[in-house]
Amino acid sequence: MSDPDCIVFVIDDDPLVRDSVADLLDSAGFTVRTFGSAADFLEGEHPDLPACLILDVELPGLGGLDLQAELTKSGADVPIVFLTGRGDIPMSVRAMKAGAVEFLTKPFRKPELLDAVTEALRRDREGRLQRSETSELKKRFGTLTPRERQVMALVVTGLLNKQIAGELGTTEETIKVHRGRVMSKMGAGSLAELVRMAEKLKISS
Amino acid sequence: MPEAAEPQNDFSLDPSIPAGAASLESILCTEELRQRPSRRPDHAQENAALVALASALAESRHAILEVLADTILRVTGADSSGLSLLTSDGATPNDEGQRFYWPAIKGMWSEQVGGVTPRNFAPSGEVLDRNCTLLFRHFERRYLYLLRFSPAAEECLLVPFYVRGKAVGTIWAMMHSDRRKFDSEDQRLMSVLGQFASLAYQTMGMIDDFKAQIKAREEAESRLRELTRVEVAVILDGLEAQVRTTEEFHRVVVETASDTVVSIDHGGYILFANRAATRTFGYEPSELIGQPLTVLMPEYLRDLHKAGLKRYQETSHRHINWQGTELIALRKNGEEFPVEVSFGEINSDGSRVFTGFIRDISERKRAEEKLRESELNLRQMTETIPEMLWGATPDGSVDYCNTRVLDYTGLSQREIQGAGWMKTIHPDDAENVEQAWARSVESGDPFYFEFRGRRASDGKYRWCVSRALPLRTSAGGVLRWHGTVVDFHDRRQAQEDLRNAQAELAHVNRVMTMGELTASIAHEVNQPLASIVASGDSCTAWLAHEPPNLDKARAAACRIIQAATQASETVQRLRALFKKTTSITTSVDVNIAIEDTVSLVRHEAQRNKVVLRTELEPGVPSVRGDRVQLQQVILNLTMNGIESVARLDHEPRWVVIRSANSNTGEILISVEDTGLGIEGEQADRLFAPFFTTKPQGIGMGLPICRSIIEAHGGRLWAAKNQPRGAVFHFAVPVTAPGT
Repeated sequence: MSDPDCIVFVIDDDPLVRDSVADLLDSAGFTVRTFGSAADFLEGEHPDLPACLILDVELPGLGGLDLQAELTKSGADVPIVFLTGRGDIPMSVRAMKAGAVEFLTKPFRKPELLDAVTEALRRDREGRLQRSETSELKKRFGTLTPRERQVMALVVTGLLNKQIAGELGTTEETIKVHRGRVMSKMGAGSLAELVRMAEKLKISS
Repeated sequence: MPEAAEPQNDFSLDPSIPAGAASLESILCTEELRQRPSRRPDHAQENAALVALASALAESRHAILEVLADTILRVTGADSSGLSLLTSDGATPNDEGQRFYWPAIKGMWSEQVGGVTPRNFAPSGEVLDRNCTLLFRHFERRYLYLLRFSPAAEECLLVPFYVRGKAVGTIWAMMHSDRRKFDSEDQRLMSVLGQFASLAYQTMGMIDDFKAQIKAREEAESRLRELTRVEVAVILDGLEAQVRTTEEFHRVVVETASDTVVSIDHGGYILFANRAATRTFGYEPSELIGQPLTVLMPEYLRDLHKAGLKRYQETSHRHINWQGTELIALRKNGEEFPVEVSFGEINSDGSRVFTGFIRDISERKRAEEKLRESELNLRQMTETIPEMLWGATPDGSVDYCNTRVLDYTGLSQREIQGAGWMKTIHPDDAENVEQAWARSVESGDPFYFEFRGRRASDGKYRWCVSRALPLRTSAGGVLRWHGTVVDFHDRRQAQEDLRNAQAELAHVNRVMTMGELTASIAHEVNQPLASIVASGDSCTAWLAHEPPNLDKARAAACRIIQAATQASETVQRLRALFKKTTSITTSVDVNIAIEDTVSLVRHEAQRNKVVLRTELEPGVPSVRGDRVQLQQVILNLTMNGIESVARLDHEPRWVVIRSANSNTGEILISVEDTGLGIEGEQADRLFAPFFTTKPQGIGMGLPICRSIIEAHGGRLWAAKNQPRGAVFHFAVPVTAPGT
């Protein structure tokens, strides 16, 4: 369940709570970094590893929910598990809507915390994977000529070569050549695969 | 003193300076005296002059003045010399007079003797105002009225003249040409002569006074002799002759007497009556003469009088006291009235004359009657007013209790006297009452004591308060003590009920305030619980490791203990505030009370993004009071501040709690915020019950706070904070030393 290549950030102003949570995660094999405030966290180093935040809602200064908003704004898509000393429904709704993984009320038990952390890390890993696949496709897509991109956009809509040639005002033969180059440059083994790639790249004609 | 000459030159007392008059400075040259070469003192001449003055002592006071003027003329070699003395009639010396007159002048101006000049505008006046010697040159240039005197004065040297230490005029010397100029030796000589003459003049005055006194005494003695002679004559001579020869005596002594004076002969017939008889009895004296004395008596006393007079003459046995006997007399109009009679007897040539002084004492009787009535009234009042009254002698022994006291205690007047009242006091209070009363008796300070006394009607002890004040003589000694006792049992009960109700209300307020804090309190408690649970889990996990990580497990266990301790402290603080307590008076450290309270609301502040800060003066003295109640006040004020700031979204956002020693026996605590502040109209109503600016408030917080602080002998007030917000202050007295 634990993964040494992951990192869990614990942010809580109460040193006893902070240390307890960190220690519990440590005992479960997680790598943990602790911070006393949101500002400390923002200033700290963040290694490029799958990670998640365990964030106290009632932080002095920049609060937990504020930090969440701040991170979303800057595109740092790190999953967050919230902790709170008082179960406040409107607050938890707000946090969950903003994409929180879990909203734990103090005191919480080990399984709740570990489940939440595991889930958060899973999401981050998945997210990271997705993010890296997409960036490979983008790279390949970048090698296509403008004409090839036009052809690819029309191919994935299911048009025949002839129809595409008509659309672009050229011959069917030419389209065939373009199509072959597109398939090879994008590394697609089949039309279906190319269609999936187009979806990931959000390409439409 | 010889008759002074008719004033020849009396001048108006108009103080205004006439037009064309030279300025004072332009005619004064006193300073030159010092610079002019001075003659050597001629002691032989000086002595001769003093001898001349001394020999004048044998004569009159006026002679001294003459000799003085003459001497000055001689020793200074002046052309004229003389004196100016203050007078009010222009002829006799009087140091309060408004003019100067010239009683003696020698030399060229000798004919001007008797002249008069105004006090307020004359060279002598200037000398008296400045109280020093002055030298004038042609003073007529300023004092134009002097122009008429010839020859004109080239220089005039004036020296103050004193009698009994008071400047009463001047002595002066004058040059009418520049033949010689006055020098400082002239000034010295004149001062010496003036001093000597002054002494001589005084001595003469005393001799004159003495002579006058002797004369007055001789006159008084001869008058006394005359009067004595007349008095004797009155008593011994026949009536007609007496009236004539002693007319003055009668007028002075008898006729003006307010008492009636009546003389009777041995037969009881009136020989003489004074004018007061008319006033007292209504008879003219002439009507009474020859009448029997009994006309002045009511019928029923007449025989008694006659018999008494007869018996006395036969046996010398007096049937009544002759001095100050009270009798009943009869006026002409038939009205009877009380009189006081004193009389005496004179034997003259074998015939007896009785003279009586009769005083109408109706007024006195009436006054006495009134006094008796008012005494009775007072006694009736003390017995009928619905209060318990008592009195005691200066040594503290109770000597009077009114009926109310007797009814209340069930004791008799005799039983309650002295220290008998003590047995009605509750045994637990008896000693204290006794001591307090002893202290008052000893010091003379007012007595005040609350105690339980037994009410006879139901045998129950009830709360009473007794007060007493000393009645003092004009010298300040205690004459006696007057006191009251009031049964205030019902009132005290009501007060106690009220106190309980207030405590109840204060508790409700606490619980409500805590209710508002639920979320923060939950956080306060859940925080350590989270730590405990998490550390428990990790501890278990470390133990389950292969091999078990004991160090980490131990660290986790330590955290559990730490967090549990923290939780228990929080719970204790909360429990104190939730508890329903009757007021417990202890020594309270204000700073600790503040810190404890702040820990309860810190998260509430955080939640509302309010910075909560304390600025506590280290080592402020403790105050005496109820810790929970004081914390309640701090909690209320702090919560108010946080809420007030929370309702706005501007900066700055803070609440500061301060403590300070005022060094005047009080601790000052203030709670400042940057919230909405207090508007003028609200300021008046802030502490009124049910006034609130909060949507959910019931408006009892501040009234309760104020009543708590006032119960601690302190004050609570609000003010505007700068630049925005409100500040609430309260001051509570520090623990008195020795309590």
